[in-house]
Amino acid sequence: MNMFRFPVRNTPRKLKKSFGVGSGPAERIKKLQMLVTALIRNERLEAKESYCLETRGYAEQLIQIAIRNGDRHAETMEKADYWLLEKDLVHKLFKVLVPRYQNYTTAFTDYHFLPKKVPGSGVQMGILELKGNPWPPVVPRQRNQKYLLTNVLISTAKEEYRMEKKISPDLKNGTHDKLNQLDNT
Amino acid sequence: MAAPCRKVNYQFVKRSLRCFEPRVIPCRWSNTLRNQIVEKHRHSPLSSTRELVKQQDDPSDVLVPREFRFVHPDFLPYPIWNRRDRVREKLEREDMLKRRAVLDIPEFYVGSIMAVSIADKNAPGKQNRFVGICIDRAGHGLNHYFVLRNAIDGQGVEIKYDMYNPLLQKIEVLKMEKRLDPQLYYLRDAPLEYSTFRLDMEPVPISKGAHVPLNAIKVKLNPRPWSRRWERSNLKGVEPLDDYITEKMKKQKQHPQIQKTWEMHDLMLKARSSIDDREVDQIMNEVYKRKEKIQKEKLQKRGQEGKREGKKAQEVRR
Repeated sequence: MNMFRFPVRNTPRKLKKSFGVGSGPAERIKKLQMLVTALIRNERLEAKESYCLETRGYAEQLIQIAIRNGDRHAETMEKADYWLLEKDLVHKLFKVLVPRYQNYTTAFTDYHFLPKKVPGSGVQMGILELKGNPWPPVVPRQRNQKYLLTNVLISTAKEEYRMEKKISPDLKNGTHDKLNQLDNT
Repeated sequence: MAAPCRKVNYQFVKRSLRCFEPRVIPCRWSNTLRNQIVEKHRHSPLSSTRELVKQQDDPSDVLVPREFRFVHPDFLPYPIWNRRDRVREKLEREDMLKRRAVLDIPEFYVGSIMAVSIADKNAPGKQNRFVGICIDRAGHGLNHYFVLRNAIDGQGVEIKYDMYNPLLQKIEVLKMEKRLDPQLYYLRDAPLEYSTFRLDMEPVPISKGAHVPLNAIKVKLNPRPWSRRWERSNLKGVEPLDDYITEKMKKQKQHPQIQKTWEMHDLMLKARSSIDDREVDQIMNEVYKRKEKIQKEKLQKRGQEGKREGKKAQEVRR
């Protein structure tokens, strides 16, 4: 039983220069606090790949302990208070996200790669989002539209038209040479 | 007209045929499959580690006492998940239970005073008995160990015992106690009176259902130099060290890189370095069931032996 529902690196990313040159682990956590807050607020995030994937772990863990322990647990409340810089999000966590993810057996978040800009800095960017968010999907859902009623009608109409064309051209011109030849033989 | 005869380029042929030659590809883990790969290709829901398995082995069906996990920390596996092997862990647990069926390993904690006798072919009587205070207890699975400390002839002596070493013959708890700290290595820098225990000490009895008593003794360390920078690890069982350290050391102690306050709420650090609560429940549930079963079998065996002996005695009487 792996307790992580998403791929996790064994060592954390250092996120150098998260607050300019000279920032260390304290600044890393500070940055992650901001990112987690933004993710819970907006339900979608666009950032560097490393930032997205680091944020993912913390956001997932926060939701998981909220689901397990509920809002009557002192330690969980402390963690929620620490990681969510805007305090109205604590209510959102327990009242909106916990019921939403209660019966999930998979991860609560999704990560999508963004294309690299060429020419550009070459940094891999990505999108991190909470599942079940109200935004339109990042990857458009490809539906098979062949059997929609309008498409079926159009396709049959096209076919009929084609069949007509196949038979009609000789009739329209009034030249029955080929047919006559066949009859004579 | 015949085609012009070309010279055969042997090197080209050789090169092109090289791909068919048998080659030895050096592979680091050629004889093993990575755990992730095995997990990925499991199709049967019974063999995969998803919800179905959980439903079968629901922890709610057997009531495991809450203290069970603190009494048996040796059954907990190594916490770093990508170095784990669940099959090996399970086999190890089975081995440990088998050993426990033969050797009585009592409940003990760091701070308890224990006596251990071990087979030693060079000792008189081929047995060595050591009494001391348990200053540490660590290791996962079969590698679990504990360290005993005592002062013998004015010299501090520490022995590390592997708990599942087959040479161990007897483990006794002379005084069941807990201390304020998870490790007592600071006794090395304390006066010897704190780690002196008589070798012929008699066991102090404790009633069965009682709480384990906490020894809230505060040890007074020797002045520096110490084996470690004790002022930096927040020890609870030690008297304040302010008299022993300089102003500079006090200042250094407050430095953020030593305090590391950011680690307090680091959720991923905790998740990476500890085992999930649900998994602990699962393991303890399994161990508890197996232990009860082994005990039952043991009792049955004893009963059968008793009956046989009884029959033999009757025959002799006749």
